[in-house]
Amino acid sequence: MGAYIIRRVLWLPVVLLIVTFLTFTIARFGPGDPVSVAAGQFRDPAVLERVRAERGLDGSVVEQYGRWLRDALRGDFGESFQQQGFTVTELILPRMWVSAQMGFIALVLVFGLGIPFGLLAARANGTWVDPLIIGTLLFMRAIPVLVVIPPLVWLFAVQFNRLPVGGWDGVFDIWWIADVIAVPIPDPHLYIPLVALSLPGFVGVARLVRYTALEVDREDYVRTARAKGLSEGAVTFRHVLPNSLLPVVTVVGFALASIIEGAFFVETLLGIPGIGRFTFEAVVSRDYDVILATTVIFSAVFVVMNLLVELTYGFIDPRVRVGASRE
Amino acid sequence: MSGQNRLLAIMLGVLAALVLVVGGLSAVLLLGGEGGNSDDGDGGPTGVSSGGEDNGGDGASASGRLRLASTDPVTLDPHVAGDAGSAEYIVEIFGGLMTITPDLEIVPDLADSIEVSEDGMQYTFTLREDAFFHTGRRVSAQDVKYSIERAASQELSSPVAVAYLGDIVGVREKFFGLAEQVEGVEVIDDRTVRFTLDAPKPYFLAKLTYPTAFVVDQQQIEANPQNWTRRPNGTGPYELSEWRLNERIVLEANEDYHLGAPNVQEVLYLLSGGSALTRFENDELDVSFITVNDIDRARDPNSDLNPLYSTWPQFTISYIAFNTNVPPFEDADVRRALAQSIDRRRVSEVTFNSMLVPATGVLAPQLPGYTPDDKTFQFDPEAARASLEASSYEVTEDGRLLGPDGNTYNITVTEVGGGAEARIDTQAFLEQWRTELGINVEIRQTDFATFLADQDAGRLQMFNAGWIMDYPDPESILDLKFHSESNLNDIEYTNEEVNGLLEAARVEQDPERRIQLYQEAEALIIQDAAWIPLYFSDSHVVVNPAVEGWFEPPIVIPRLRFVEVNR
Repeated sequence: MGAYIIRRVLWLPVVLLIVTFLTFTIARFGPGDPVSVAAGQFRDPAVLERVRAERGLDGSVVEQYGRWLRDALRGDFGESFQQQGFTVTELILPRMWVSAQMGFIALVLVFGLGIPFGLLAARANGTWVDPLIIGTLLFMRAIPVLVVIPPLVWLFAVQFNRLPVGGWDGVFDIWWIADVIAVPIPDPHLYIPLVALSLPGFVGVARLVRYTALEVDREDYVRTARAKGLSEGAVTFRHVLPNSLLPVVTVVGFALASIIEGAFFVETLLGIPGIGRFTFEAVVSRDYDVILATTVIFSAVFVVMNLLVELTYGFIDPRVRVGASRE
Repeated sequence: MSGQNRLLAIMLGVLAALVLVVGGLSAVLLLGGEGGNSDDGDGGPTGVSSGGEDNGGDGASASGRLRLASTDPVTLDPHVAGDAGSAEYIVEIFGGLMTITPDLEIVPDLADSIEVSEDGMQYTFTLREDAFFHTGRRVSAQDVKYSIERAASQELSSPVAVAYLGDIVGVREKFFGLAEQVEGVEVIDDRTVRFTLDAPKPYFLAKLTYPTAFVVDQQQIEANPQNWTRRPNGTGPYELSEWRLNERIVLEANEDYHLGAPNVQEVLYLLSGGSALTRFENDELDVSFITVNDIDRARDPNSDLNPLYSTWPQFTISYIAFNTNVPPFEDADVRRALAQSIDRRRVSEVTFNSMLVPATGVLAPQLPGYTPDDKTFQFDPEAARASLEASSYEVTEDGRLLGPDGNTYNITVTEVGGGAEARIDTQAFLEQWRTELGINVEIRQTDFATFLADQDAGRLQMFNAGWIMDYPDPESILDLKFHSESNLNDIEYTNEEVNGLLEAARVEQDPERRIQLYQEAEALIIQDAAWIPLYFSDSHVVVNPAVEGWFEPPIVIPRLRFVEVNR
């Protein structure tokens, strides 16, 4: 087990190396470059060439990548063109914190709501409730995150004027009772982004739980449990639920992926200063160093997350415990 | 079976309870959120007041605090900044030898007097006795020389240095690594500095008002070369007292400012947050832009926004450009035909709710040389068809153009965009070209970086673009965009007569005659239909009644010290 973890962790740098090299190359073969964008209206080719040279954007792609890698290994991820005078790390960390807080809440919502709804649909199999839930879920599944946001904004922010149109104001807001007692509540800026972020994952998890719960329901041991007179609740929570959760663990990685993917749209459309929006802006303005740094972070998060999922899987289901047979 | 049904009932019950709880809770939260906001009152968004000094209530905002919405500047280093957003801050924090007044006059800032040599090639500046950095050190001629040389240095590799300072002898040489020093800047004595130009250039003083020529503090930069812009030391009317990325920037008045102390003590820029107008209406901001979505409300005499609403012309123009090297646009008659067959006035009214002003020429209002009469081609389908008839091209059945060389050409207009939908005015123009001339123009959208790359490489046949002038001189658009030798002439436009006029204007010392030369050049350019000038833009704002003297200058100039807040 220990050896397996070490082997997987050792793969991380290799994965990062490949991913960054590909990102680096693709970015540089695209049209335009950060110097060209940053130059604005004044476009003297000789001047731009000089600036490129000074900023290390001359030479072959391999040379440039070599320089980037050397600096990155020293912890220097370069400088942004869009926000000069600050290192990329300084710019990314606060934005990462914003996205991480929101992503974490979304992840909790995805599973906290997805599992009960899935279980409910499975229990309701054969009645009108099941197709209703599944139909609703399929309908929601078909709506891309991009399309969810405008109607939500229109309804809650414009029509009812209950929620802010966008922006970010921290996770908590303070609600004063009679100007004396302070109660921390989730900040209203969060509601629309959270709905948009957790919707795809929630639908996926609910459908998966329903499917696996129905599968498990047909297993012999469930029939045996019923046969020996266990109550329906005991069957559900003691036998069906734990066994249908197993595959759910494997989709934590996917759920996270859909949240990160959603963050690009949600943060960009709603003006949330997170890393998704930052990356989007960096791509638009060809801010190479920022693109590379966020790529490294996203890749690392994925790799580590998948590793954790695998380990948890082994923990829940001893049969698939990796490397166990050898010990 | 009955057991299963009972369980189902229980679970439905649980779900219903859950919905009620969640629903009730969120209703409470929403109300709570509102309560929280109104409770915060003038204190600004909670996220901001949570750190730094908390102004709990109205106390601090009572007098002399201006609250504006903005974004983080790209940089606060005046020598590399090339964007208006950065310049907004820089002109308040720093200063140079010259500055621009709200009336767009070019006047001395750090300079006390200016002496121009007979031939117009040498400018000798005597510095003011009372010009100090924020730290209290007096500005010397050495500081000026250091600043120009820093701006032109290789290490800094500023993308704008050559454009703004290139008229000074030796700046190019230093930038390209051929010289150690800038030969054209000499320190005569502690208070006197002399600039030598490569040619007599009447617009030189105007160019010195741009941040690239501003004076920075050598000691500060050398002590902290990486991070000095986080709390820069300048000579301007305001001093940066706090900068929290993505949150806020606070400027404090420089009480000893040599051109007159500011009226507003503190300017707070809020760098994040939602709709500016909503925050303005919540009394969180003192000024907000009005977008096309809210313009009807602002114009409605019965609306409470109306008395606070005003519009201000800007030195910007948007236009359709033709690459005059690429068929069919090497033929001026084809260009004219396209210009005469679109109704900009109507398109502006219908699609932009008249928020943009149809351009009357190339020179924008308030620029020297501007005249209000419309010099552009008018919407005239008859004339357009006649122009097309006179050209060497013919329209084919499928709406393309058959050239004298026997080739047929597609016409594509390129614009910056996300690809979802073309600019609404472009769509209208397309329709007019189709109905009036039978020409099918295609739209191609690219992202900004790709657009610039294509534009630089001359790959665009016809494109939508804009130009923002940086100093109030016709040179900053006519010469830069239409002289055949200019780097910025991205349409390959060549007209020897225009070149001659522009070159004469560069060195003409008589201001009136000089403006006249530019007007003649402008007329020729419009006649050649090198551009279809589309619109000049206006700045549409609402201003809190407690703020007095707010104005939106047509270009970025120092303005905060003229504003007053009465609260």
